[in-house]
Amino acid sequence: MHSKKNLSGYIFIIPAALIYFTVIVLPAVYSFYLSFFKWNGIGPNRKFVGLNNYYHILFEDVIFERAALNNTIWILLVLTITVGFALSMALLLNRQFRGRTLFRGILYFPYVLSGVMVAIIWTWVYHPQLGLISGFLQLFNLQEYYSSPLAGVKTAFFAIYAAALWQGFGAPMILFLAGLKTIPVELYEAATIDGANRSQTFINITIPMLRETFVIVFATQIISAMKLYDIVYAMTEGGPANRTHTMATWMVRQTFIFANVGKGTSIAVVMVLVLMVVIIPYVMFMAKDTGK
Amino acid sequence: MSMTINSVTGIPLRPRKHSKLKKLPFYICMVALSSLILFPILFLVLTSLKSPTEFFGRSVFSLPRQFTLINFSKAFIEGKLSRYILNGLFLCALKVPLGILIESSAAFSIARLKIRFANGIFILFLIGMMIPMQICLVPLNIGLRTLNLFNTYSGLIFVYLGFGIPFGILILRGFFRTIPQELDEAAIIDGCSKMSLFTKIILPLAKPAVATLLILDTLGTWNEYLLISVFITNDNMRTVPAGLLSFIGENETAYGLLSAGVLISIIPVLIVFIIFQRHFVEGMSGALKG
Repeated sequence: MHSKKNLSGYIFIIPAALIYFTVIVLPAVYSFYLSFFKWNGIGPNRKFVGLNNYYHILFEDVIFERAALNNTIWILLVLTITVGFALSMALLLNRQFRGRTLFRGILYFPYVLSGVMVAIIWTWVYHPQLGLISGFLQLFNLQEYYSSPLAGVKTAFFAIYAAALWQGFGAPMILFLAGLKTIPVELYEAATIDGANRSQTFINITIPMLRETFVIVFATQIISAMKLYDIVYAMTEGGPANRTHTMATWMVRQTFIFANVGKGTSIAVVMVLVLMVVIIPYVMFMAKDTGK
Repeated sequence: MSMTINSVTGIPLRPRKHSKLKKLPFYICMVALSSLILFPILFLVLTSLKSPTEFFGRSVFSLPRQFTLINFSKAFIEGKLSRYILNGLFLCALKVPLGILIESSAAFSIARLKIRFANGIFILFLIGMMIPMQICLVPLNIGLRTLNLFNTYSGLIFVYLGFGIPFGILILRGFFRTIPQELDEAAIIDGCSKMSLFTKIILPLAKPAVATLLILDTLGTWNEYLLISVFITNDNMRTVPAGLLSFIGENETAYGLLSAGVLISIIPVLIVFIIFQRHFVEGMSGALKG
């Protein structure tokens, strides 16, 4: 009796489940299958090569190694600089003051731009002759010492990160703001009455109370760092000298430019495996029945 | 935390004037930060108002001698931005409401209907967040071509819907759970069907979460680049990001034109952002409480 009543509840899930299955699950499984073949994506000639594609990308492909390193560097940069900056901004915005909504809107604003637009803007900022930086140096006649950081093998990736920081800190900032709102004011009042100073309340109240927010921020930031594509592709296409490739840009290049479907899909599978390490604990955390 | 009022007695702890003055450094700090963020945009505006000769002839920091809107009209017409913007609006208008409907109905079932395996189903959906879109591209490409949906908006929207589902369900389920469960029981006792419980009670109460999702989804669809550049090869069907990139290819350093293009394409998202940003933090915190 009870179970019959509940069966109708599943009807509400069917549309989402069907679309999800056809767009994500099925293609992902099929790609996994394709990663064991050598195939150009068009012709009928598919050759089973076992784990060869994996062996190649993991042990022979220096560009893949560079790309994996880049993703790692990116994760570290995001977890320290982006998250730190976002948290400081959220703390500033969490005070009561006039014009709060306006400032919040401004700080968040770059996040509404697409990676492609950010890339266009910052390529211009860095432009060796016509850009903002070179224009600024021109005022002091220092322009001749300037070359675009996007052209340097050592600087290009960090130059992309600077653009991404400008664009991206707004999202974790909003998450932190939302988290800060859930901390009861009484906690701070009690602490102040007990004579705690600002840094003490920050360490003993704010940080622990933001635990859940930190989990979400870290997880979402790591996920998007692993999938990093748009802004890199639009700013450097992986250059100069293949130094700024990420796993995602290298995967797309292998698959759609070099027509190495097997290699491309095996890169994607490696990405998924690495992401699982982050996501499974995160998903468990999100799905557990807390409180209530 | 600036505490200027004693919470027990309600008496201000410090005289008002004093506290206002104390806020001055804080305001200076905020203004400085905001200007830093807006700096590149400001120069975009300046550059877009200069004629090409003026842009190449003088410093980037100079004010335009003669304000001109030629860049805007050129970007709009020759750059086909008007076309790309219409395409983007069309895609958003179809994808976003449809997506929210599908996601919220699934989230409603998971969060409110006490179905069995609700948590397991939720986890299966969430796993989708870890799958990089790129892994699905080749099979989707084959599938869409076989079904004659390649280069069609129906195919693209279907793919967009799929990739939007995990995040949509995450946000909506989180918020739905914060609505008191007693409401459902009362409604069911009053003879309310599951469908009307969903459309008449839960959905209206979840406005902040729906608004949040509406902004994020509109932005995501408007800004999406990877999928549309793979599945839509017809230039007339592209949206703003891909359009702007091909525009760059043709006008390498015509930064006046590019700035105008970027500015024009920001306007629609800016409008959505301003309208809905009030609900934003509230909607996010609902999702956070999980």
